[in-house]
Amino acid sequence: MLFHARAAIMPLASTRNLGQETNAMRKLEAVIQPSRLDSVKGALGEIGVDGMTISEVRGHGRQKGHTEVYRGNEYTVDLLPKIKIEMVLPDNLVDAAVEAILKTAKTGKIGDGKIFLSSVEEAIRIRNEERGDSAL
Amino acid sequence: MSSALPLPSPAELLASESRAIQSEFEATGDGLTATRRRSELVDRVVRRLFQEFASPAPGGPQNFCLVAVGGYGRGELHPHSDVDLLFLFAENRDQECFREAVATIARTLWDLRLRVGHSVHALAECGELHRDNLEFNVSLLDCRCLAGDTRLFAALHDRVVPRLVARERQDLTSDLLEVTRVRHEKHGGTIFHLEPNIKEAPGGLRDYHVARWLARIAELERSGCWTVPEESWRAALRDPSRRACAFLSSTRCLLHYQRGRDDNQLAYELQDLAAASGIGEPRSPGAPQAVSAAEWMRAYFRHARSIDRLVTQMIDEASATRSSLYVQFQEWRSRLSNADFSVLKGRIFPRQASAAVKDAGPLLDLFEMVARHQLDLSREAERWVEEALARLTAGGEASPLSLPDLWPRFRQILLLPHPARALRVMHQLGLLDALFPEFRAIDALVTRDFYHRYTVDEHTFMTIQGLNDLAELERRSAKDSVHPADHDEIMTLWRMNFADILAELERPELLAFALLFHDVGKGMPCEDHARGSLDAVEGVFERLQLPAADRDTVRFLIAQHLEMSATLMRRDIFDPEAIREFSRVVGTPDRLKMLCLLTYADVNAVNPEALTPWKTEMLWRLYTATFNFLTRSVDDERVRAAEAEAAKTASVLALAGPSATERQLGAFLEGFPRRYLETHAPEDIAAHFAGALRLAVEAADASVRARGHVHELTVIARDRPFLFASLTGALTAWGMNILKADAFSNAAGVVLDTFRFVDLHRTLELNPTERARLERSVAGVLAGEVDLGALLRGRTAQPVRRAKIDIPTQIRFDDASSSHSTLVELITWDRPGLLYQVSKTLAELGCDIGVALIDTEGEKVIDVFYLTSEGTKLHPREQQRVREKLLSLLDLP
Repeated sequence: MLFHARAAIMPLASTRNLGQETNAMRKLEAVIQPSRLDSVKGALGEIGVDGMTISEVRGHGRQKGHTEVYRGNEYTVDLLPKIKIEMVLPDNLVDAAVEAILKTAKTGKIGDGKIFLSSVEEAIRIRNEERGDSAL
Repeated sequence: MSSALPLPSPAELLASESRAIQSEFEATGDGLTATRRRSELVDRVVRRLFQEFASPAPGGPQNFCLVAVGGYGRGELHPHSDVDLLFLFAENRDQECFREAVATIARTLWDLRLRVGHSVHALAECGELHRDNLEFNVSLLDCRCLAGDTRLFAALHDRVVPRLVARERQDLTSDLLEVTRVRHEKHGGTIFHLEPNIKEAPGGLRDYHVARWLARIAELERSGCWTVPEESWRAALRDPSRRACAFLSSTRCLLHYQRGRDDNQLAYELQDLAAASGIGEPRSPGAPQAVSAAEWMRAYFRHARSIDRLVTQMIDEASATRSSLYVQFQEWRSRLSNADFSVLKGRIFPRQASAAVKDAGPLLDLFEMVARHQLDLSREAERWVEEALARLTAGGEASPLSLPDLWPRFRQILLLPHPARALRVMHQLGLLDALFPEFRAIDALVTRDFYHRYTVDEHTFMTIQGLNDLAELERRSAKDSVHPADHDEIMTLWRMNFADILAELERPELLAFALLFHDVGKGMPCEDHARGSLDAVEGVFERLQLPAADRDTVRFLIAQHLEMSATLMRRDIFDPEAIREFSRVVGTPDRLKMLCLLTYADVNAVNPEALTPWKTEMLWRLYTATFNFLTRSVDDERVRAAEAEAAKTASVLALAGPSATERQLGAFLEGFPRRYLETHAPEDIAAHFAGALRLAVEAADASVRARGHVHELTVIARDRPFLFASLTGALTAWGMNILKADAFSNAAGVVLDTFRFVDLHRTLELNPTERARLERSVAGVLAGEVDLGALLRGRTAQPVRRAKIDIPTQIRFDDASSSHSTLVELITWDRPGLLYQVSKTLAELGCDIGVALIDTEGEKVIDVFYLTSEGTKLHPREQQRVREKLLSLLDLP
């Protein structure tokens, strides 16, 4: 079995403050090498982030594809297989999460991927309509 | 109604009675009673509302009645099942004065939190086939009058529905079979889900209903009578199915009560609860008999199997009367009958009594027919197997059933087109487990994880099924779909690549064998299931008397069955170092092919969505990169005697006889490509070693032996120019068509060439003495005693036929892969004498062949030569000359 994608919800009991103004939230998207997924997940788990959405994606940036010839047929890879991780985090966890990914996803070669951060206006838990970072 | 107490409101009635039904269920675990009582309760509520809002008159209104249909019509309501109601009018115009009443009744029921599905129809509409609303037609097959005009209901029940069925039986049946087929497909076509939907999955309650409907349709058409459908079933099918229905009904009640809604997914935690509360077990008053969740699930699968058997039988009967084309096809299959079995309507019947079965042989004959022709067993054949098995294993349940030629017979089943089908039924009837008790460990075994959807035994059969499906894949030209649009199309294109690998396997049965046992360790108390499977399979090897080399292959596949997935997941497959390391694990192209297909089959059988195009592509990339590495690194990956595999050299030495020394063997192996050690069994190496020792007195050592439908020539000689060309020339002169060849040499300049060839004219087969003559002829050519030119002239030139498919000649040079040779990869279409022509041309151009890897796939030739010229890589100028010469040789006008 290779990869398992699931959208999970991260409980953040410490930042719960019902009825009050909630902390800012940010969305973190990282495109990484498939081979680094286990390590990245482990490192994020250690800092308390274990809810994320994982997708199998393809793409390329500066790392161009290449061609493999197998038994006379050419198999060109122009879009390389990558893994995309997405999560929405309360502001105070973002730096630690970025650092965890940088530490574990880096091999030093072209093709290690990128991290994107953006701000999120609202999060709503569908089950009970909780809002803000307590819905994360 | 003379009670002194005021009537409770419908809401109060529903609430208090529902509580009573629930607590009775909790005490007894009896789902059938609970569903019947709930249906009666809802009857009371619905009748009260009808009286109140539609008609207080005892005889009810004319031309309007209220009918329970579907499950409610059957009088079975699970706690959160839909309540299906039909408001029936004689004519559409009769609706006018009741419009308000209908709306109020429906709304009130909704407000009581009953999930009502209601429809309003005139009598005539109930007699039409609604192909876009099959559910409505089918729901009328279970109808019951609740209130209102009883004569109107009688018209529906006694006239309209029977006539509809009689008129539309074919369409009604075929639509019902089609929705059933689609539903089964959606659930992977198997009952063995880890968290099954007990209503919709195969072997679930819906299948029981389908069987009832089919029986009812048949009876309504035949006699127009509403008999109890179950009574038309044979007792052998009926009794277990009824018990299964009761079991599932109780389980469904538990699910509904736990979930608080119509959720029929038997999740892990509910399996625990069902087991702990002894659902489906006969209760002694007081404590429920708790069993483990795993045992309880095995009971579930037993029941699901009963219903599956029932519905399969009913579908078969319905299909058989449905289409004459189908009947013709089944008639045609009856020609598959033989002395021991007859085939009727696609099912096998035994001709001899089960008492006449003295060993497992006839049972294996039966399953060979299944695997060969994709047939089903008749109920008689199932019983025949069970009875024979009971006698054969009597007294010795624990010891496996044995048969002297078990491996050849079992191997035959694995090699046929449909082994998965045969193995699955062998397992269901207990034969597989009697032959291989190791398999019992995973019988209906539920292992809980995120990914797997089926029980371990079913997963195992699905892996083998996946390979069978690959072999059946309809060949399509990739050109037809240059821009594959949808997911299925993309997957089909990928699957075709894997189908090609499968077609190239020399021993596909060993892959199927390894798959059959790869997960048995999951049912054993050990940390690492691959380790458990390996331990278990040793006993199987012994009983099957499997040859040593085959054991090694199977051990490799089981031990490494997660390795390719792990490499995909944890390594960068575009990193040459990762490819090199993985290549070391697999060792040879043959093993790579098998491991790749095993990985494909294993992931494919996890759940229907597990093998995404993304993963498939990754697997393919890892495969091609590793394959190419193995092909291009032969030259540099050489045996150093000091580091050679000790175990293997020891067994070679033991076989080589007392006079051979370790030092001699070391000298022989020194410098051979590692590929040589990895692709040959100790027996072969010992024979080659003996041949090399004879080079002291002979010029060359040649031996020919039959290997299945091909022959193999092995030659050991001292290296010299034109050696490879002379050998291919000799084989060409004898009219042999070379399929595969390896040419290796060691540090001492001893060459070992192996050729696999087809004996087109069956010379060797028809004249056994010709084999020795061929050996002498080859040795003579090498010793210079036989003139190759004369030999070739004596041969009439064979006509050259162009290949049926267009294979353009390709020549590629690679200077980077080997440290001291130039690799040439040549791809072209096959023709007689090709390899001789090519190797002669190379020799004439002054090229020495260090390593040759010759392969043929259908009409396509894929040759790789490692060339040197005067001990170094080929100069670009020389490469250009080689290219030009070969192209002019190979590209006929």
